[in-house]
Amino acid sequence: MLRAISLAGGLIALAGAGMAAEGTRIQVTGEIIDTWCYFSGVMGGPDAVVGSAHHTCALWCSAGGIPVGLLAEDGTVYMVLKIEGSADSAGGDTQLKLASHRIEADGMLYERDGLNYLVVENVVTDDGITVQNHEDYGPVPPFAVPEGER
Amino acid sequence: MISMRQLIPALLVLATPAVAQDFSEGSHAKSWNLYAEQPALFQAQVVDVLCELTGDCPENCGGGDRQLGLVRAADDVLVLPNKNSQAAFNGAVAELLPFCGAEVEVDGLLIDDPDLGAVNIYQVQLIRKVGDAEWTKADSWTKVWAEKNPEAAGKGPWYRRDPRVKAAIAKDGYFGLGLETDKDIKELLFE
Repeated sequence: MLRAISLAGGLIALAGAGMAAEGTRIQVTGEIIDTWCYFSGVMGGPDAVVGSAHHTCALWCSAGGIPVGLLAEDGTVYMVLKIEGSADSAGGDTQLKLASHRIEADGMLYERDGLNYLVVENVVTDDGITVQNHEDYGPVPPFAVPEGER
Repeated sequence: MISMRQLIPALLVLATPAVAQDFSEGSHAKSWNLYAEQPALFQAQVVDVLCELTGDCPENCGGGDRQLGLVRAADDVLVLPNKNSQAAFNGAVAELLPFCGAEVEVDGLLIDDPDLGAVNIYQVQLIRKVGDAEWTKADSWTKVWAEKNPEAAGKGPWYRRDPRVKAAIAKDGYFGLGLETDKDIKELLFE
């Protein structure tokens, strides 16, 4: 009996796979981050790849089309798919302008296979860069500031 | 109505314990020496992620402006390719767009670090349509960028020449806190 219930439940759940899902409205506050550097650790630990230390790299990665995320204050990462009508999530101008900024976002959350996806309908507040960690880490990566600019 | 595409992975999922699957068999992915990397070769359909999740579906997966995903054939999991194979701060959309909607085989690195929320994150290194013999290297981003930015032609990596990045740094500095503060920070760090 339990097996039958599980099977039915599984089929119902998977009937929706590949189809549009209902989102959940949320309000979340956090930093717009470069998710490759954050998730992969390629440039260092998570505290080094946020904020002012990592700002130039965040610009590069955003312009380079790497998905941006919103790193919430509780550590949850939301993959940002759209911001205030702009669906240009692969290198768009809106996300580039918000690189490293702390924002309060109002939008729709879609959860799929362990990742959180966010459609930001409204940037309620934009506090600019609030994590000032350049004294702790210097520029991340070190060559972010070229020799001739030092 | 449940299609076979949805039903077969459903049954596989139900028959499989809730542990991360191993897709490393047959992979020739190059290591990037990342903490949580796992070689992964799998078949998938290339999808527009926003379309997949919300039903907002423009033609041609958004033409390169939107993030693209990989719905894995083995388990119907939506994998998010964050990165291509170039060590140049660029994503995977330019690599996947020519395969929009197609069933493909990809080889690369899965990043699995649940402590950071990194689940089903992928770096794509090679891609080909299912049934094709030849792989395509996932390294076309800089060529696509150069075609879109002919005025930025010159020496050095793209990210030093990109007009938007240069404008942002010219406005707010390398640390993003304004030019006066940027000057002070550079004096502090480098002098």
